[in-house]
Amino acid sequence: MTVADERTTAPAPQADPPVEPSRFSLSHPRSRIAWIRPAVWLPLLVTLAVLAALWQWGAEKLPYLLPPLQDIGSSLAGQFGYYVDNALVTLGEAVAGLATGFAAAFVLAVLTSELPLVRRAVMPIAVVLNVTPLVAIAPALVVAFGFGPLPKLVIAGLICFFPILINTAAGLRSVPRQVLQVYRTMDAGRLELLRHVRVPNALPYVFAALRIVFPLSIVGAVVAEMSASGSTDGLGTVIGVASSMNQLPVVYASILVLAVMGVLLLLAVTLVERRVLHWHDSAHN
Amino acid sequence: MDGSVKVTGTPALALRSVHRVYGFGPSATNALDDVRLTVPPGRFVSLIGPSGCGKSTLLRLVAGLERPDRGEVLVHGVPPATACAAKMIGLVPQSPALLPWLSVLRNVTLPQKINKGAARRRERIAGTEREGAPAAPDMRELLVKAGLGEAMHKLPAQLSGGMRQRAAIVRAFGLRPDVLVMDEPFSALDEFTRESLQDQLLDLWDELKTTVLFVTHSVPEAVRLSDTVVVMAPGPGRIVDTIDVDLPRPRGERLFGERRFHEYEDLVRDRLRRAWRSEAA
Repeated sequence: MTVADERTTAPAPQADPPVEPSRFSLSHPRSRIAWIRPAVWLPLLVTLAVLAALWQWGAEKLPYLLPPLQDIGSSLAGQFGYYVDNALVTLGEAVAGLATGFAAAFVLAVLTSELPLVRRAVMPIAVVLNVTPLVAIAPALVVAFGFGPLPKLVIAGLICFFPILINTAAGLRSVPRQVLQVYRTMDAGRLELLRHVRVPNALPYVFAALRIVFPLSIVGAVVAEMSASGSTDGLGTVIGVASSMNQLPVVYASILVLAVMGVLLLLAVTLVERRVLHWHDSAHN
Repeated sequence: MDGSVKVTGTPALALRSVHRVYGFGPSATNALDDVRLTVPPGRFVSLIGPSGCGKSTLLRLVAGLERPDRGEVLVHGVPPATACAAKMIGLVPQSPALLPWLSVLRNVTLPQKINKGAARRRERIAGTEREGAPAAPDMRELLVKAGLGEAMHKLPAQLSGGMRQRAAIVRAFGLRPDVLVMDEPFSALDEFTRESLQDQLLDLWDELKTTVLFVTHSVPEAVRLSDTVVVMAPGPGRIVDTIDVDLPRPRGERLFGERRFHEYEDLVRDRLRRAWRSEAA
């Protein structure tokens, strides 16, 4: 009898409490509100102020190495349109290269994970390509593809290719065994499995690769521009020309614009990732 | 040992002298040695035995995930691979194996979008004997019945372990399988959740009447759920006994207090112990 009594007073076994119910409701708003608190932004502000003071001191002592901040600022403000135009050229090359590299790497990742023959034929080459410094290939590509946008696109694409290939292939193959067994007993086709299981399963891996690859695509575009210096637009060209003419404020202003561009791209990836991967842990940190 | 029950017509499951060996040469282990088992349609059969007795291997053979080295496995008269192609087999693995990016509802309806040619194949296999492929059940209704009505649009990560396993069971029942294969589906759950899931499993089974092959470590679970408890022993993996559980259904919570229930428990425990002893000898 006592057993039965206990059972009625104990919480109903059917009402399983959800695991960590707070995780989904709290983490999002909290991360956005956090920036209002001085404890969050003050340390960064202090660091920036110290760095700026050091810079100004250095600029005074070594005028040939560092331009004063106000010179960089006035260069940016005075020729803002010029910087934006060149930034857009570099951004266009980087994004076009990224898109091409992504498409090629994704298709190849699917092929290598589905067909062992393709994996054995292609993977060693991809690894060799990855360890080859692309900066060294850039001049050769400029010779091959001319001074137009094509070599920039190729280099940006190549630099993005390997991380996407490796990560996507890993994601496609990392479906838990028991999930595969469930769909194997339904005799799911390869394409069905790819579409409904493997590709969605690979998405967190793909986004991890994109976070690495977005900044890299800018590196690729800038390197390619510098290899064909003076012939086209783009911030790489601007930096190359300005440094040969000793226009330090222009060089640093361009670098600053490149950095801001990188941050904006990363922010864009993060926003898309939160949308697409709302179900995944990575979207809640 | 022959674990056969009297059968008229095509049995739901037929294992004929099935052998399965892992590895080669001196390191080879006999996972299954001359296993024979016949199960008529609509029966709830549990496989119980210590680790290494080959019960999971047997289950994988029936689900078409492995092939026997010798002997024959037939599901409704056809090989498991053919049965899988006709979506006649539902699998509930040890972990729920839900897709974390789909809501519970979309997880359990995904099988309907997969392998659409199965219905035709299933009719062909059914032949004259059965009425062919049953219509797809209303998954929302099944979820409500399994106590997941509120959780239908949630993601698996937002559910408790018990709710996830229930969703996995609903997904398998949604296929209206001829044979439902369950591999220790409740082993990771606490006692209370386990019993409530057994209740719900019996409710669903009562309604959809399929043949169930249920692997478990738990004696009370095997006795409560099954029509037949198949006792297995290791080294080599084999069937040592087949016990028909002649208890009335529905088997609610009251059953746990009944003497006959405990007698069956003792009987299964005794056979398990004997299997151990014969191995040690």
